[in-house]
Amino acid sequence: MRLSGGEIDRSQTLRFTFDGRAYTGHPGDTLASALLANDVRLMGRSFKYHRPRGVFSAGSEEPNALVTLRGGARAEPNTRATAVELFEGLEARSQNAWPSLAFDALAVNDLMANFLTAGFYYKTFMWPRAFWERLYEPMIRKAAGLGRLSMAADPDAYDKGFLHCDLLVIGAGAAGLAAALTAARAGAQVILADEDARLGGRLLAESATLDGAPARDWVAGLEAEMASLPNLRLMRRTTVWGLFDHGVYGAVERVADHLPIPGAQVRQTLWRITARRAVLAAGATERHIPFRNNDRPGVMQAGALRAYANRFAVSPAQRVAIFTSQDDGHQTALDLIAKGVEIAAVIDSRAEARAMGEYRLIAGGQVCDSRGRLGLRAVQVRHGGGVEWLSCGALGVAGGWNPNLHLASHQRGRPRWDEAAQAFLPDTLPAGLAVAGAAAGQGETAAVMASGVAAALRALADLGLSGRAPALPITEARSLAGQSLWHVPGKGRAWVDFQNDVTVKDIKLAHQENMRPVEHLKRWTTLGMATDQGKTANVAALAVMAELTGQTIAATRTTIFRPPYTPVALSALGGGDSGAQFRPRRLTPSHAWAAAQGAVFVEVGQWMRAQWFPQPGETHWRHSVDREVLATRKGVGICDVTTLGKVDVQGADAAVFLDRLYANPMASLKVGMVRYGLMLREDGHAYDDGTCARLAEDHYVVTTTTAQAGPVYRHMEFARQCLWPELDVQLISTTEAWAQFAVAGPNARKLLERVVDGFDLSNAAFPFMACAQLTICGGLRARLFRISFSGELAYELAVPARFGAALMARLVAVGADLGATPYGTEALGVMRIEKGHVAGNELNGQTTAQMLGLGRMVSDKKDAIGAVMSRREGLVEEARVLVGLQPVNPGDPVVAGSHLFAQGAQQKTETDEGWITSACHSPHVGSSIGLGFLARGAERLGEVIVAANPLQGQQIALRVVPAHFVDPDGGRLRD
Amino acid sequence: MTDLNTLQLTATTALGGTLPQEARHGALRMAENSGLALASLTLRRGTTQPAPFGLALPGPGAWGQAGRHAALWMGPEQWLIEGEGLAETDFATALQGQCPGCSVTEQTDGFVAFEITSEAGEAPILALLARLVNIAPDRLRPGMGTRTGLEHMSVLVIRRAPDRLALLGLRSAAATLWHALTTAAARLG
Amino acid sequence: MLIPHPLLGLRDAQEFTCLGDAALLNRPDGLADPQALTDYVYLRDNPAGVHRELWFHEQGDRSWLVVTRNTLTHEILGAELARDVALRAKGAK
Repeated sequence: MRLSGGEIDRSQTLRFTFDGRAYTGHPGDTLASALLANDVRLMGRSFKYHRPRGVFSAGSEEPNALVTLRGGARAEPNTRATAVELFEGLEARSQNAWPSLAFDALAVNDLMANFLTAGFYYKTFMWPRAFWERLYEPMIRKAAGLGRLSMAADPDAYDKGFLHCDLLVIGAGAAGLAAALTAARAGAQVILADEDARLGGRLLAESATLDGAPARDWVAGLEAEMASLPNLRLMRRTTVWGLFDHGVYGAVERVADHLPIPGAQVRQTLWRITARRAVLAAGATERHIPFRNNDRPGVMQAGALRAYANRFAVSPAQRVAIFTSQDDGHQTALDLIAKGVEIAAVIDSRAEARAMGEYRLIAGGQVCDSRGRLGLRAVQVRHGGGVEWLSCGALGVAGGWNPNLHLASHQRGRPRWDEAAQAFLPDTLPAGLAVAGAAAGQGETAAVMASGVAAALRALADLGLSGRAPALPITEARSLAGQSLWHVPGKGRAWVDFQNDVTVKDIKLAHQENMRPVEHLKRWTTLGMATDQGKTANVAALAVMAELTGQTIAATRTTIFRPPYTPVALSALGGGDSGAQFRPRRLTPSHAWAAAQGAVFVEVGQWMRAQWFPQPGETHWRHSVDREVLATRKGVGICDVTTLGKVDVQGADAAVFLDRLYANPMASLKVGMVRYGLMLREDGHAYDDGTCARLAEDHYVVTTTTAQAGPVYRHMEFARQCLWPELDVQLISTTEAWAQFAVAGPNARKLLERVVDGFDLSNAAFPFMACAQLTICGGLRARLFRISFSGELAYELAVPARFGAALMARLVAVGADLGATPYGTEALGVMRIEKGHVAGNELNGQTTAQMLGLGRMVSDKKDAIGAVMSRREGLVEEARVLVGLQPVNPGDPVVAGSHLFAQGAQQKTETDEGWITSACHSPHVGSSIGLGFLARGAERLGEVIVAANPLQGQQIALRVVPAHFVDPDGGRLRD
Repeated sequence: MTDLNTLQLTATTALGGTLPQEARHGALRMAENSGLALASLTLRRGTTQPAPFGLALPGPGAWGQAGRHAALWMGPEQWLIEGEGLAETDFATALQGQCPGCSVTEQTDGFVAFEITSEAGEAPILALLARLVNIAPDRLRPGMGTRTGLEHMSVLVIRRAPDRLALLGLRSAAATLWHALTTAAARLG
Repeated sequence: MLIPHPLLGLRDAQEFTCLGDAALLNRPDGLADPQALTDYVYLRDNPAGVHRELWFHEQGDRSWLVVTRNTLTHEILGAELARDVALRAKGAK
């Protein structure tokens, strides 16, 4: 029901629906307050027992009023109605109820409560094992859980950003406002963040005045000043949800969640805030007092009733009772009376309690039961040795306040129990963090503000800035005395954790079953493990456990909190990187040209590479690949190999450096020549391969494999800076600077002769493994390397990347009569397998130079990385070596990953003789072929072995052949 | 030396066009700078720090300019030298001539360069930076620059002036970087 | 985490790649003492507490750093260029 006053704008009416029924509210309402204004108390069903539930709080701690907001792809389950700003056309639905919220079939669970107690997951779903996946899991998943996902892609945009500040103030209530003002006036870079749309925090929920006027006036004045300070960034609707190492904070700003269409621009922004200092002023959460059937719609925090009355101008009922152990509970009665709400009674558990106004006080009383299946109708009060039923539509429960110090324990800080404050307070704090206001256990507004100022002044002093305490407003004194009452003893179920349906009985059971430490208690009962992380439950639960064990609360201790403070959408954490922008995409210089030719592309790490170039009439990829291979071997093929890593190595000691980096000698390489290079890891296994070209005495260019370009560069810098800093050597990565093309095939020389500017390409002048800097196409500077990975006469030609596309087009155009054919990575792979060149499949981190047939390359005359360890017994005795494999029946496939066995051998681990690393169809051989590692392979040429592929039930007879399927003596390379 | 009169090949920009791309969002103008020549300069042991093209080579985290040339500190004893409008020249050779005894590496085509200009002072530049890179604004004051990460890419960020920013990234990832940049600018409105 | 780069100030740990124990700086001469090399490759301290680690500023100036970090608290006690540390060690030999 709607009351007078409040912070809502009655000049505008907003229409919304809940479970399909139309209602109205006003700007300034939350969904929860608007529903209460329309006399809707029933908002959801509980997790386990499907008990009817209503709103419990007025903030982000809400355990009960969880709804599915919006529809279609934007449907957002488990949204707290208390934290949703009302907007025109808002659409919300209740959850966890079927067929309807008022009549929920699964409420039958409530009758099986004895069966669904603490630890029931562990006790019930154990046996038989076969039921785990078939029965239990689907059953649990169907019955439990709250809202359902839309299963459609999130249509909205999410953003991210990075902020840096001197002081981050978390929470814009009285303490946070005072802290931010103090620091901002001193000139510090300040960020003030609050999850609410409005500044003021609890000030807006109270009737207490500041400087004799409503608190909102003081807040408004401050807001105006803050807006004018360029060094202060106000972040409304922003939850600082995590505290990470060294002053890094995670925050999510709900940029457009309060708008009818959130995705017009950005819906939410994830901020990573690096703060030199921070003040946690996140306030406090009121705790309740568990009693029998305390979960009915209408039973709420007393402070929430006050917030609804003062800020939102609503009351859940005309007649309200208060159950309190604190003076603060009486304040709620006074505020409600001032708004015209009838107070049935204030039931104060303290015998000595006194009334603070005109209402019925039941001192020394306790609420011990309630009635009202779908909404509270009456509470039973025990006092003076008897019981009495009091009719009321709502009950405010005031059990004291728990400081919101969640962020203070995100770095494993464990709060300590403070007996005087009757609350957990932060103990050791993360460096740079201070806690102020109610989060630090302060209650009186004046003290709250003063602690905010003090925290800001300390932070300023740490930062070397001087600040002054601002003039603070005159506050009204309020009595905050109280005596903790942790639960009302008695029969029946008294809820502690509403969202996960954990009752006092469950805690007793956990105690009885020896699950007594708080961490065990939590897991055995699922206490505090729901989406609200037990904000309203945890302290009460461990107080009950303390009572059962006879220990103090201090000795019982508390569990600690992890990020996030409140749930964060995965879309926000993803930061908008989805679809084609999921990760960077690197394009080769000839990409656009290849795309125009209709090339099919493949992702190779971040690179997009042309896989093959289909021609008209080719209906299967093999047609294209076979044609490209044959055209290259017959005429000339061109392939963009820019993706290979390239590192410029210069310096007086460049040769010495490379000699130590590669297993084979590099210092002896002559200027103008290229050498294949093999790098080992320090443990002696093969790491990466490539080529070294010596451009000058003190200048090499080395290449790495595409996949390892980054790690190998890092490894080279490690060697340079950490192992041999005394060497004069400089490393510069130049992968991107040069477009590089393999030009391979018997016509390669003829083709290149048509583009070079008068450069002698004859075998005598430019032999196999030569390199040179030259110009092509009328003056373009270029680099030429005579290297081959196809087994053909081949070159690699490099030009500045911006000319790459034009060069590719030109080579194909001027080579038309020579059969110039672009080829992709698939043909590249086929040709290297046909030639027996190792690649990533063979250099997989588990193989040695010896296995690769490169053992003789490892020099024993120098201490290169990995060389010594490669000579260890175990590695030297490794019998598996690289061989070629060819099916006995030419129609049979060769399948990579198959394991190799002797014919007739029983196939088991002990008799395993190796495996197939690479396989392809070879148009040259006319069948499938493969490369693999086979024990004693060199001695077994001609032998027929069996390739076992149990995944597909294949047993294929293969003949062991040399790893070179084309031109075994290398004549073509050298011609 | 590239002779443009006889050269039979046409260059494409990093974004794949024959002309550089431009975009405008609110007060921010972004343009691909295809005319920027780049070369790495590294000191060798025993060489004294040169002053190529009259540049005072800047210290860690800094960037300096002299006429059409500029230098960004890249690492200990290492700089990236820029030559505005010199991409068609053999910039590395020219730089080598200025720095005898030093190691010089051609880098013009190693990067794509985007120049960002604000028509409303530094505020839009700072707002854009906050969406792009995790570097404190006081480390990117005018005359400062650094390599950092942006959307899982390595980039160089140079604050050329209060209202001017340059973003250099892997040439091969130019399209991804351009998308990131223009998306961020568009969201700033 | 923030890494206090000796030249560039505090930089986010996301810019770095961590390699682990800084003992990797002390590579023995493998030809002279294979056993020392074996220990170098396979034996690492993994202390719960103060640890010297190698971090590479990959998205930065490409310097290798020796970062002294408390592995229990993540407190960072200092950072210097690995090159300087290695040169100092070599000078001491």
